[in-house]
Amino acid sequence: MTAAVEFQNVSRHFGTVRAVDGVDLTIAEGSFFAMLGPSGSGKTTCLRLISGFEKPTGGTIRIFGEDVSSTPPHLRNVNTVFQDYALFPHLNVRDNVAYGLMVKGMGRAARYAKAEEMLALVHLDAYGDRKPAQLSGGQRQRVALARALVNEPRVLLLDEPLGALDLKLREAMQDELKALQKRLGLTFVFVTHDQHEALSMADSLAVFNEGRIAQIGTPQDIYDRPATRFVADFVGSSNVLPPDLTRAMGGPPEWASLRPEATRLAPTGPVRGTVTALRYLGSGTRVVISMGETDVAALVPAGQPVPDEGETTAIAFDQAALHLMGPA
Amino acid sequence: MTTASAILPARGLADHLTAVFWRHPRVLLALLLTPPLLWLGVVYLGSLAALLLQSFYSIDEFSGVVKEEFTLKTYGELLRPSNFDILVRTVTMAALVTLACAILAFPIAYYAARYAKGHWKAAFYLGVMLPLWSSYLVKVYAWKLILAKEGILGWAAERTHTSWIIDGLLSIPGLEGSSLSTSPIGTFAVFVYIWLPYMILPMQAALERVPNSMLEASADLGATRAQTLRTVILPLALPGVIAGSIFTFSLTLGDYIIPQIIGNSANFIGMAVYQLQGTAGNIPLAAAFAVVPIAIMLIYLAIARRMGAFDAL
Repeated sequence: MTAAVEFQNVSRHFGTVRAVDGVDLTIAEGSFFAMLGPSGSGKTTCLRLISGFEKPTGGTIRIFGEDVSSTPPHLRNVNTVFQDYALFPHLNVRDNVAYGLMVKGMGRAARYAKAEEMLALVHLDAYGDRKPAQLSGGQRQRVALARALVNEPRVLLLDEPLGALDLKLREAMQDELKALQKRLGLTFVFVTHDQHEALSMADSLAVFNEGRIAQIGTPQDIYDRPATRFVADFVGSSNVLPPDLTRAMGGPPEWASLRPEATRLAPTGPVRGTVTALRYLGSGTRVVISMGETDVAALVPAGQPVPDEGETTAIAFDQAALHLMGPA
Repeated sequence: MTTASAILPARGLADHLTAVFWRHPRVLLALLLTPPLLWLGVVYLGSLAALLLQSFYSIDEFSGVVKEEFTLKTYGELLRPSNFDILVRTVTMAALVTLACAILAFPIAYYAARYAKGHWKAAFYLGVMLPLWSSYLVKVYAWKLILAKEGILGWAAERTHTSWIIDGLLSIPGLEGSSLSTSPIGTFAVFVYIWLPYMILPMQAALERVPNSMLEASADLGATRAQTLRTVILPLALPGVIAGSIFTFSLTLGDYIIPQIIGNSANFIGMAVYQLQGTAGNIPLAAAFAVVPIAIMLIYLAIARRMGAFDAL
């Protein structure tokens, strides 16, 4: 099966800044692929390389096996949901959605019929006559989605599309996007800096750091077995243990990650520390224990006794939960 | 713990005044708005009303005295062929100048809004504004020399054996003249030069407000550059174009110096007003002439609004 999108050693430099630096990437057809990373890590540039708004400094980009190096954006069969939605303010919702068909020369009746179909898909049937300014943020987001889908692209690119929405709406849209992607069987490439969003929505994801991919894999892989300290730090609320602490906890002298929910408090243990902070999370309490130079978080499930700040405690865990990783 | 009071002591008049304005927000607004409203209401609109009133008076043809009685006779005089010619000539010139300014200004404004950064942006503003800082009369007379038969343009045409272009232009019926500086073409060129900055600046401001992502969205959806220009950039820049055209159109409608110095001395509205209120002493007819540009601008704005020029605001 050909990959929907393939990067071979792709770079994009702006002067001396290496926004994207030697990225290899394969996105399977029909998958929900997330690009996760802090701002400035190169994830958005990668998305713009796919849509054609950036030209690679080096390397090859293929979309469904075809080299798109010399293909301008308007001839690429991919569409984008922009971060700021970029709806045309002078056109009503129907004309916004029908825009892609209009520039391809489709007649008014046919394109309006198709636009209405797309609006129904995003539950905005009755909003065709409104101007974008008369819609809420969530509704604009749906219009942008309908507009990007109307051309029936082979890959849909989403640039932090949920960033501007409030939490509740964001969660609803996450479910809706995921359902839509399954229903259409389309390849979605989704850029986000929100690790929860990436983990909960993606079939596979790439974690970006300073223009390079730090790790690529399924959400499970990345959460349970982070390849580097950066990934562990960025993706999870995971504890990152320096080599001496790993050894003190019974492992080899290497960097390791340890998830808070895999730990429990114990009266005695090899390493003890002082409780410095408590955070009530509803489903449990996150207890931060200062162990020398490192803070280690443990999750105490609801209903179990929680220590007070300043108390001394130790932690216990299965050795299998200790995941060793590279130093980078 | 300190025992500071919850309310800090007022330090002086400024504190008291700020407190008054906080308790009565409208007081500050009224203080700020009264002088400009008076200026606008009395000096500006008041004089305009007086002008309108004058245009409904007429002049006694024998004594030359203004009869202060309501009549439409003066407006009727506007329709006399010699006067009506002036109106048609002025409006045609203003429309052509506006069109030429819009076409010339667009690439400049587009470059400045989308591509110019840092020093280039400063250079753009300087380049557009600099001509506005020198005297209008100096510029017009400079153009008279440039366009004269022995001027630099004629000289260059002669050297490059392209004089036939100028001669050809000057032989077009209605545009005749012994040189460009005595032809309506010269009047047109100088109008365009003088008013161009007033078109560039609002256009640039409008184009600057079009986010880049909107152009990308258009290309992303399959539009060519020409389609993006027609369906996204121009509609969104239209309020700026209209704002600029209000300047170029109304300034051309009212100007009386350029057509006096450059061109074939055919009368324009401004010149007619100047002569009527001065030597001829026919204030009512001068007022009626002056009402014409106002009426035209109101009609123009109504049409622009009807066409949706302000929908993107």
